[in-house]
Amino acid sequence: MRLITHNMLSCNIKGVTNGFPLRIEAGNVIEKEVDFNPDFIRHMFAKLEWKALVEGARSMGYAELPEDSPDAAVLESDESFLKKLHHALLELHLEEGALVCPETGRKFPVNKGIPNMLLHEDEV
Amino acid sequence: MKAALAPSSLTSLSYRTNSSSFRSSLLFRSPSSSASMTTTTTRGNVAVAAAATSTEALRKGIAEFYNETSGLWEEIWGDHMHHGFYDPDSSVQLSDSGHREAQIRMIEESLRFAGVTTDEEEEKNIKKIVDVGCGIGGSSRYLASKFGAESIGITLSPVQANRANDLAAAQSLAHKVSFQVADALDQPFEDGKFDLVWSMESGEHMPDKAKFVNELVRVVAPGGRIIIVTWCHRNLSAGEKALQPWEQNLLDKICKTFYLPAWCSTDDYVHLLQSHSLQDIKCADWSENVAPFWPAVIRTALTWKGLVSLLRSGMKSIKGALTMPLMIEGYKKGVIKFGIITCRKPL
Repeated sequence: MRLITHNMLSCNIKGVTNGFPLRIEAGNVIEKEVDFNPDFIRHMFAKLEWKALVEGARSMGYAELPEDSPDAAVLESDESFLKKLHHALLELHLEEGALVCPETGRKFPVNKGIPNMLLHEDEV
Repeated sequence: MKAALAPSSLTSLSYRTNSSSFRSSLLFRSPSSSASMTTTTTRGNVAVAAAATSTEALRKGIAEFYNETSGLWEEIWGDHMHHGFYDPDSSVQLSDSGHREAQIRMIEESLRFAGVTTDEEEEKNIKKIVDVGCGIGGSSRYLASKFGAESIGITLSPVQANRANDLAAAQSLAHKVSFQVADALDQPFEDGKFDLVWSMESGEHMPDKAKFVNELVRVVAPGGRIIIVTWCHRNLSAGEKALQPWEQNLLDKICKTFYLPAWCSTDDYVHLLQSHSLQDIKCADWSENVAPFWPAVIRTALTWKGLVSLLRSGMKSIKGALTMPLMIEGYKKGVIKFGIITCRKPL
């Protein structure tokens, strides 16, 4: 699971109002290189939940992202920032671990990079 | 999974032409009402508990079915697990590549029908896509590549999710697509996240159509589109409360084989969408455009390679193959329809 996906996932257990973002329990994190495509990164930036990304990256061992979401102008001018964003979003993979609901503590396992988000009968 | 197979289920494992054929292998009996869209009930705690258990069983069964049969499908038909789109009355014996092109055409025709590809502005605005019932990710990879967008697929089958990821990596699309094990009826996303909500032949598996539509509507972003392409039964005429008994019997047999929980009509989907404040609700009957596909799948099943693969794959696939003629019968008699329903969420 990459952080670009983590940025979209939330816990939808019935009654939970604060299911995003999921905390990451990193068991096994690997890095897989992906071709740098600055336009794609700029394209994605607008809809990112920044705080969730920064926290998630930290959980996976990457602390290079700024705490606050930068201005769009930075995207145009600062290539090194774009590369950091690219690395965080696309190159860090959670292979084994868990995603934890911030409200209930419920753990969703991640195996072979695939999160299992299925809810149990009593959670729907 | 085996426990879910009722003794009389032997005739109904439908070997669907699209990847969807493998999809519904869990035996799940729907209530007798053919127009019923939901199998959950409010008739009492016991009934609710029973329904809840069978929903778990259905989910597990669908997952196991696709765990077993996805590889077989992919080997013979490739990574798109859906019908091809053909010109009506095309009687040409298409080559394999012709069918694969038809499967791609199905995606393009669906986008066109929904108004997505006829509007340049709208195309550019598609940044996030959800592929509901993603199979091994054929649609996700195609759409992500086409729109330069991020596509997230959900499936009940871990085997499919794994395979989908492997294929994405092999096609250098791993940065654009991701796959999760999740339930289309309880999607693990916040509201309004997706510019395009894509359900290509997965609706058939949903035991609760209302809940399914609710989720699709919940996760689509304002201004975003929902595209549902699915098998339905024919629309009921004014005054008709249910399908004819012989029609219901035919569908029941197919349900058993393919483990479809319930059938509804295209009209039912339209009514469900209308109950939310959605714009531009459209539907069409594409039954004529998919007619060549089933016979083509039967032909591939009967080839030497097909038979060997079927035997290797197991009972679920074999039973599926045996039910294909029932699907053709259903289409020919106008009971089964291939429908598309699309709409847009207001800004």
